[in-house]
Amino acid sequence: MRKPGVLLALLAILGLLSSCSTTQPGYFNPTQASVGERKMQARIYVSVEEAEVMSAAVAVLQDMGYSIDEVEARLGVISASKRADATNRLEAFGTLTLDSMKCALTFLMACSGNHYGEIDDVQDIRLTMVSMPQNDGSVAVRITIQRRIYDKRGRLSEQSTITDADVYASLFAKLSKAVFLEEQGI
Amino acid sequence: MIRFLLMLLPILAVSACASQNAAITASDSQMQVRQMQTRVYDSLDKHDTLRSVLATLQDLGFVIDTADYEMATITATKLDEYQLRVTVTVKDRNHSQLSVRANARIDDQTIDDPRTYQDFFTVLDKAIFLTRHNVD
Repeated sequence: MRKPGVLLALLAILGLLSSCSTTQPGYFNPTQASVGERKMQARIYVSVEEAEVMSAAVAVLQDMGYSIDEVEARLGVISASKRADATNRLEAFGTLTLDSMKCALTFLMACSGNHYGEIDDVQDIRLTMVSMPQNDGSVAVRITIQRRIYDKRGRLSEQSTITDADVYASLFAKLSKAVFLEEQGI
Repeated sequence: MIRFLLMLLPILAVSACASQNAAITASDSQMQVRQMQTRVYDSLDKHDTLRSVLATLQDLGFVIDTADYEMATITATKLDEYQLRVTVTVKDRNHSQLSVRANARIDDQTIDDPRTYQDFFTVLDKAIFLTRHNVD
């Protein structure tokens, strides 16, 4: 009868020891999607100086309400961030209605509907624009964007890299316009 | 025997994982860590190497937190189901070589798997090649 006990205790010790070591997967392996993402996240600007592109980029970020966190002109790096609303009105309305119905159903008892606190509230968006002069005199610009979404209780509900091509297209449209304005000295 | 092993459990629970203060420094061998995290390149072009590091990090989906040319240091973060943070430094090694060092953390853990760093340098090798030949 003692043997299973000893075995269990040994297993528990082994479990404790192994909980401190982890196997780490390939975090730095480029995915198959990388090539597609690169196309989506990059544009080439011709007959323009790198400094002009960077200056236009800062202006565009300011237009969109970002704060500049980091600029390193010699490496073509601009990083910026902003906190923005993340409420999906339809989701908020639906959850609030559901919670209200639950409250009505539970009548005089304490309300059990607390899903409203779980809906998305704010998001912290961070992006990097890196410019890279090319041999032919053009300047390549690449943008990467991430965000963290917090719910109404302040808990992290999602963190991810933005892979929506429309977002990047819209950003580059603004940047192209700003580069043009920069060239015109406006 | 069981009683002895059971007495051992709380001791292990406390000591098996590093204590809070021990986390401020690290217990691993400095030389081993450096070797694992460093690669030497036959180049003296710090500027192009740093640009290649930026391209590599963006290829891997990172956002740049800080970049300093003088100190040749770049820190970046990737958000997925985890938070991956990496700092890359470039240094002159001798008259003809540069060394690039990367150290990474995943959430609250240091990445101490040599293969992970090898993967990073494999991507960086390609980026350095592309930068040298100016291919986008």
